Amino acid sequence: MSEIMAIASGTWKNILRMKVVYFLILCVWILIGSAALYEVLSMGQHKPLMIDVSLALNAVAAALVVISITFEIPRELRQGVASTLLTKSLGRTQYLAGKLIGIAVAAIVICALITVGSFVIFYYTFTESIALPMFQAQLLQILSIIPMAAIGVFFATLFPEVVAPVLTIIAIWFSYSVGVLQNIPLLYGGILPNLDLFNFRSQAVYHADIPWSYVGLVTLWGIAFAIFALMLTSLFFKVKDIK
Amino acid sequence: MTEGRCKPSVFPPRTDTGREDTLDNFVIETENLTKDYSSWLRKAKRPALNNLTISIPKGSVFGFLGPNGAGKTTTIKILMGLIRPTGGMATVLGKPYDDVEVKNRIGFLPDSPAFTPQLSAMEFLDVCARLLKIPSSKRKQRVEEVLEIVRMAPHAKSKVGTFSRGMLQRVGIAQAILNSPELLILDEPLLGLDPYGRQEFKEIILEQRDKFGASVFFSSHILSDVEEICDSISILNKGRLLCAGKLSDLLSRDTDNGVLVKIRQCDDAVKALMTDADNVQKKENDEWELTFKTLSPELDRKINELSAKHGEAVKRLNAREDLESFFFGKIEEDNLENS
Repeated sequence: MSEIMAIASGTWKNILRMKVVYFLILCVWILIGSAALYEVLSMGQHKPLMIDVSLALNAVAAALVVISITFEIPRELRQGVASTLLTKSLGRTQYLAGKLIGIAVAAIVICALITVGSFVIFYYTFTESIALPMFQAQLLQILSIIPMAAIGVFFATLFPEVVAPVLTIIAIWFSYSVGVLQNIPLLYGGILPNLDLFNFRSQAVYHADIPWSYVGLVTLWGIAFAIFALMLTSLFFKVKDIK
Repeated sequence: MTEGRCKPSVFPPRTDTGREDTLDNFVIETENLTKDYSSWLRKAKRPALNNLTISIPKGSVFGFLGPNGAGKTTTIKILMGLIRPTGGMATVLGKPYDDVEVKNRIGFLPDSPAFTPQLSAMEFLDVCARLLKIPSSKRKQRVEEVLEIVRMAPHAKSKVGTFSRGMLQRVGIAQAILNSPELLILDEPLLGLDPYGRQEFKEIILEQRDKFGASVFFSSHILSDVEEICDSISILNKGRLLCAGKLSDLLSRDTDNGVLVKIRQCDDAVKALMTDADNVQKKENDEWELTFKTLSPELDRKINELSAKHGEAVKRLNAREDLESFFFGKIEEDNLENS
């Protein structure tokens, strides 16, 4: 486990020290805050608009972090960072698990910062406390990173950095559209995660409670999918020649 | 392989009865190791390594030589478990090449070291130390020690992404010696270093052998450095092993009739022999080295007379070929044979 955590800590430190991450967070906060200016245009619906925008932008930020990693892992493999690490006492599955945890932790920290910022903006704009469904919806949005990161690691490990981000974007888009695509088994195939399970924007807007048991189950499902994706990736990665 | 060319059997052959001894004596053994590269798009196989059989004795500094594309890096990557051979077997420290645990006893430097760019040198080495299972109580101290050894202590907290090629090479060496390994596998360790850096690194490599009993296996294109620090070498060309053995044996083999005369502070002797010499080199402290490829009876008598007259100032030794001409000779011979 300590080997996995060594890789994970190196990964999350590497991501969280990139200046572009904080630029992204700042941009998202500004966009969330700008929803307050839409009072007239939205005919007084600027409060639900802000909740909706904050959840949507949080999802976009999580996807962006995952996509940025689909550049990083192939680059690590190509430039030799991975080969330096893999020539230590570290199995290839452990390396992948470390990468997955590292990416997930970094993305969770980024999304948590966005969430906290959005709550502060909401509180000062509407002088209203944060309702539980709002918190739960944001929490689920943050937890959706787990399966999303697993998709990113899968493509990043098997494809070069020119292809991996494109495939990851398509996969994430399909994963959010599973409700629509489930009648097209060829596209959906039951392999992609259903990220709609983590989407509770309407409950947050209309203050409809989400049972905690659901939150717990969907988190377990996300972890189970991530482990399945990791094992699948590992099958291919174990036989891959690392140049 | 033609007659007269050195063969890999310079090292003791393995015997069925002496298997345990063999494991103790050799740090690396390969048998008919073969690697063909192929891709999904191109069906044609590109051979990178062809039936490589070598045994690296324990405690040796072994130079692995060959032109670009000879298969050196491929061999090293197979030994480190990064790529899978198409055929043959390889053992490292008596274990299969893909054994994860044995890597705790090996130090490896890749040909172009790259590290996580946003981490500092110290943080990256800490990650490596954790992977090498160095106890947390000793980890910080050991990381500081190796940074001191490679003279990177002043840059310990700088981000690796900002380092030059030479600095990366130093961090690379630091991570390779972090666990005081029994075996150091270095792919082009002296590349990108200035002459001072090269000298320091050669000292570090030799120190690992002398102080900690480490065996060293390294590939290099800088033949003068190989000649300086290696006791054994092998030469590869186009994936095939051309020769392997002790450096002294290999270099003296082709020049059995030659003589090297070392003359110190004796201008008369230099003047007397200079015109007959095939190669004259002036060294430090007024010392000269004169090489004679063939020796006529008259020249033989002249050298003996000078040696008797001037005593220790004129030393007669058996000449040996330098590694560079030996290397080029072997490669050209092989290219001609296979053209």
